[in-house]
Amino acid sequence: MQTFRHYFKKEALEALRTNKYIILFVGTIFWALMDPLLLKLLPILLRSSLPIDMTSLLPGLNRDTAFANFAGDLFEIGTLFFGFTLMGLLANEIRFKKLIFPRVRGARFGGIVLAKYIHYSLVLIIFIFIAFLTNYFYTVQLFEGGMLSINMVLRAAVLYSVYYCVLLAILLFLSSLFKRGLFAGITIIVFAYTMSIFNQFQGIRQYLPNYLLLKAQDILGGFDATLIPTILISAVIIVIFIALTISRMRMIDIA
Amino acid sequence: MIKVENLSKNYGKFEALKSISFEVPKGVVFGFIGRNGAGKTTTMNILTGLIGFDSGNIIVDGKDLTGKTGELSKYIGYLPEAPAFYDYMNSYEYLDLIAGLLNIDRKQKKDQVQELLEMVRLKKDAKRKIGGYSRGMKQRLALAVALFDRPPILFLDEPSSALDPEGRREMLGLIEELKDEDTTIFLSTHILSDAERVCDTICMIDEGKILLTESLEGLYKKHMHPVFDIEFESKPEKELSMLKGLDWVKDINTAGNKLSLEVNDMEKAKAQVLKKLSGSVGSIISYQVRKMKLEDIFIGTVRENADI
Repeated sequence: MQTFRHYFKKEALEALRTNKYIILFVGTIFWALMDPLLLKLLPILLRSSLPIDMTSLLPGLNRDTAFANFAGDLFEIGTLFFGFTLMGLLANEIRFKKLIFPRVRGARFGGIVLAKYIHYSLVLIIFIFIAFLTNYFYTVQLFEGGMLSINMVLRAAVLYSVYYCVLLAILLFLSSLFKRGLFAGITIIVFAYTMSIFNQFQGIRQYLPNYLLLKAQDILGGFDATLIPTILISAVIIVIFIALTISRMRMIDIA
Repeated sequence: MIKVENLSKNYGKFEALKSISFEVPKGVVFGFIGRNGAGKTTTMNILTGLIGFDSGNIIVDGKDLTGKTGELSKYIGYLPEAPAFYDYMNSYEYLDLIAGLLNIDRKQKKDQVQELLEMVRLKKDAKRKIGGYSRGMKQRLALAVALFDRPPILFLDEPSSALDPEGRREMLGLIEELKDEDTTIFLSTHILSDAERVCDTICMIDEGKILLTESLEGLYKKHMHPVFDIEFESKPEKELSMLKGLDWVKDINTAGNKLSLEVNDMEKAKAQVLKKLSGSVGSIISYQVRKMKLEDIFIGTVRENADI
């Protein structure tokens, strides 16, 4: 508990001083602001830059499509920010021998790993909720039509939060596996994008975490029974990867 | 205080430690000396619980702490050769983290932080980010971390190698002070004059094997032979062949134009050295007799071991 408490504080200080909060903020909330604005301006931009009027080819834009567009973009862009910002969480500490003093003076790996996981999970959850609510506010201001409600947005935010908590658990493990954080970052990004392909396959998609994103973007679908296996499997993945990370940290030479 | 039995560590096929055993009595400064790559840091990393090992036992204060790294932290402080910190923190913040991990209460923590920062002369710079510190400053902060809560055993890995002459003198003074406070100090160094100044017991390690473990006093008694240092105008090749094989000559070392002659019979040597070198007297620049240093004993022991 001592280790968890003090490492949680340390992670917050580190995120603040090394600008991780700002980078994650840009990766989520900045897009929440920009996405509806760019979407609104897209027909005007197309009209001025193309010789013929192609705006008629664009699908009808309403609040629902604008929100779904943001959710899709957040996954594509936010995952890059997520992977490259948090890739060194453990790899850098191991590689640059930063854990020697804390370990000799009593730090426990369980506490360190949990502090990192819970801290960044909370950060991601908070940023995702702020991003979704911000996007909702702008979408409602800029677009008309559709059935988008704040409940639907909050539901989508919950699903995105669970998804990124799963990715974070896997990233932490990868970060303890690779000596260079960059490899962990690239692996998690490739993994996240590749897994999205499985959303095409109806029989298996609800057993994979990326189904959470599909359901989040399907605002009218809501929470249904197909999400139960996805959420259970996501929780199991989180527990397994956290346990694997702690066990891996106990096995490796940190000096 | 520390008993190590048949400790072995392999890195793949490379045997870093070959079943080493030694004992460190309570309250002594235990000098662990050896060349680079001899196995000093590996031994220290194992004893501090930072890396695993393949076989052997580690007994600390009568308790078998093999594999119990959590318990080891109650007994030890460690100053690594190249200390690494969270560079975005300042000294206060870093020491605060360490105090938290040691579960020290607020009042005691404040007092200890002030005392340690003063001791390592970092109070003035304590609010600066550690990333901006010089290597010597980082070494001093590392010492403060190692000394936090005054652990009964202190592991110091090359503590003075990054320090300026003044800092080095202070570090040695501090080790002497800690010895007086009954702290057991495990000092790894290749600066043999430092070991000679502060250590009570010397343990020599080479290629993962312990060559000897003996009190400094005993070591001097057993290995202390007078040495004749003679400097010539040119490389003493002819002189080397003249002196080799004489019954009163124990060992000969040459470095450039200098020749060091270790003898086992002082009287015979005094009478015969110059006689033997009569043909080269004109080319002798300097000539002096000195006592053997730890460095000579170390080189001799390593060489003997290599010959076996």
